[in-house]
Amino acid sequence: MACREAPRFELALGDSGYPSALAATEFAPKRLFGLGDPRALVTGFAVVGARKATPYGLQAAALFAGWAAGAGYTVVSGGAIGCDQAAHRAALQEGGMTVAVLGCGADVVYPRGAGALLAEIAQHGAVVSEQAWGVHPAPWMFRNRNRIIAGLSAVLLVLEAGLPSGTFVTADYALDAGRDVLVVPGSIFAPECRGANRLLHQGAQPVTDVSELASALLTSLGAPSREAGSQWTLDGKGPAQDAVLGALRTGHLRPDDLARLLSLDIVTVARRVGLLELQGHIVKFPDGRYGATPMR
Amino acid sequence: MGQCTVSTGTLVGVEVVSVDAEVDVGAGLPAFAIVGLADLAVQEARERVRSAVRSAGFDVPNSRIVVNLAPGPVRKHGTGFDLAIALGLLVATGQLPATIVNECMVIGELSLDGSVRGVPGMLAYALAARDDHRVLLGPADAVGLGHLEGVEYRSLSHLRQLRTGVSARLGRECELRAPSHSVDFGEIAGHEQAKRALLLAAAGGHNVLMVGPPGSGKTMLARRLPTILPPLDARERLETALVHSVAGLNDDAALAGMRPFRAPHHSASIAGLVGGGAPPRPGEASLAHNGVLFLDEMPEFGPAALQALRQPMEDGTVTLVRAEGRLRFPSRFALIGAANPCPCGYRGDRDRTCTCSPGLAARYLTRIGGPLMDRIDLVFDVDRINPSLLFQVAVGPSSDQMRASVLEALERATARRLGPTARLQGVSLLKACRLDSSATRQVEAAARIKHLSGRGITRLLRVSRTVADLEGAERVDSGHIGEALGFRAKEDC
Repeated sequence: MACREAPRFELALGDSGYPSALAATEFAPKRLFGLGDPRALVTGFAVVGARKATPYGLQAAALFAGWAAGAGYTVVSGGAIGCDQAAHRAALQEGGMTVAVLGCGADVVYPRGAGALLAEIAQHGAVVSEQAWGVHPAPWMFRNRNRIIAGLSAVLLVLEAGLPSGTFVTADYALDAGRDVLVVPGSIFAPECRGANRLLHQGAQPVTDVSELASALLTSLGAPSREAGSQWTLDGKGPAQDAVLGALRTGHLRPDDLARLLSLDIVTVARRVGLLELQGHIVKFPDGRYGATPMR
Repeated sequence: MGQCTVSTGTLVGVEVVSVDAEVDVGAGLPAFAIVGLADLAVQEARERVRSAVRSAGFDVPNSRIVVNLAPGPVRKHGTGFDLAIALGLLVATGQLPATIVNECMVIGELSLDGSVRGVPGMLAYALAARDDHRVLLGPADAVGLGHLEGVEYRSLSHLRQLRTGVSARLGRECELRAPSHSVDFGEIAGHEQAKRALLLAAAGGHNVLMVGPPGSGKTMLARRLPTILPPLDARERLETALVHSVAGLNDDAALAGMRPFRAPHHSASIAGLVGGGAPPRPGEASLAHNGVLFLDEMPEFGPAALQALRQPMEDGTVTLVRAEGRLRFPSRFALIGAANPCPCGYRGDRDRTCTCSPGLAARYLTRIGGPLMDRIDLVFDVDRINPSLLFQVAVGPSSDQMRASVLEALERATARRLGPTARLQGVSLLKACRLDSSATRQVEAAARIKHLSGRGITRLLRVSRTVADLEGAERVDSGHIGEALGFRAKEDC
């Protein structure tokens, strides 16, 4: 319980400060408990994704949440490890507003180790929950938590969702509540993207760069209140004609796979990979694969 | 009645301390006593000697028999004194001429029927006898020791042989087999990066950590590392065989030049890993001397046992300090660690999803501990090979071809006269690398961008030096550094 120093608030359904978008849904909770500023609970832009995110999901979360926060939209997410935390962090880094919706009591630090992040969110936005103070987490709470994330936002961005997954559940709630559901497409071979790609097949709107996100947010949430920087644009440039870099942009690969796909010997590939990594064009992931960094 | 002194010995570590077995047969109440800091196994010699001597058709007189093992302060253990005591008894009672034990070191255990058995450490006794200019008189099953240069060996398979005459001096053709391995790198399809890393490890003497899911081939790769190491030279053969002999293991393979490959289970204790016990025995780190110590599931080893490896990795010897004194066991080995990427083992796997919490997975490899990771230059991932590729991928170079490159690289490293590449540090490391300006800039960039520590840079440069050696390059260039960057440890990231 590290967030004790932040101001607490409680809102009942029907109070004037109760978020209007959430109140309009049929599943609005009777009471909301929160830390931080209740005025942060404006209709926002929700970012949800897998806890066991791949670097692809983390990079996309940081990209889109960072841009949206910089443009003045409130970023709503679940405070969980992985994509959620990446989105919160990016929003905080841009000096934007962010709201974390927890499954457990709003003053309970969960996941463990998120204490510092949650405290910062409470300072620059709000940490809310429908559970009373001090309620410890139980698995069923997180599924219910997801409907509040959907309710607090007008637009939901799905990053990496397996099948079945909590992220997929959130998308279902959002569709029921008539929210816009945007999806970042993933590789058709990656199990962690199967749910996200299924949503696309079912008619969700794909998002492949910030301009597409910008137009979606413009229709649902109105014009941005701030000017976001130009550093978010993916310009597609990079070292020209590099086979290794080209291959890594299509997916995450190990040096062995690269050597086989490109018909190069392992020494050549290893040297190229080392240099590209040093130049910042690719990164090594914790599981030993390499992937291209966003082109910008 | 009379006295006789027979020369024998006892093991202290891998060394033999010579011991005199003084046998006195005199008047008094019938008794058989052994004195001289003898442990239980030595005390039991009384019964074995009595039965064996009678079975062989000799007499044990009904007199007072006292055996003194000198020097007194040295603790004697084991069953190797049986034969010396029996011969002393026979000479002291006039049943055999004294010439039979002259100039001899006598080692062997007796069975109740009078046959002579070997004891652990026969090679150590043989070398001690050689240095003492004595003939080793021992069991017939250790007769192979007669091949060693300078060792004179007389074998005795049964005490009965002594009745017909002096034991024959046995000769045998001295034949050192060329090391032959039952495995080969040529059998492994795919795993190109892993094979490359092991080639570098062999050429530079680097310690290695392989990370990969179960069934990805980590053990298969590790077993083949000895096949690309240079064969043991004459001195190394003796050193390694000595440790194996003292531990009571077969020393034939080491004497034939095969590098040992030891793979202790992760439940190994400190004593099992670095040596210990009473009497102190060599541990796996010493049994792997001049060879490979493979620690599968490295994070699962007890932290104390793992950290105990630091000193032998640094010094090349294990020093055990016990009440009786300090013991040294040689232990210069190449370490290969293998680890799953996380507790469930499937982090980053192609088909199976990892069930570990992200925090747990990230912490798993840190169980190995920083100081030990500092001594591991090469860290790489081993992926489960796609089964459909098994039949498509061209088979890589064989162990013989790889060993040839290793030998060339080692020659270049030796010509520098700066010591093994994996031990280079500071000024001598920079001197060995001879970085050009672009390579220097690249190392600086790597250190800045990847937040390399001083030790991280040292590891990077060592591996780069070996990459250059394999290529035959005098100087380390940016390409070499690029390749070495791919093998750095996770916390260097």
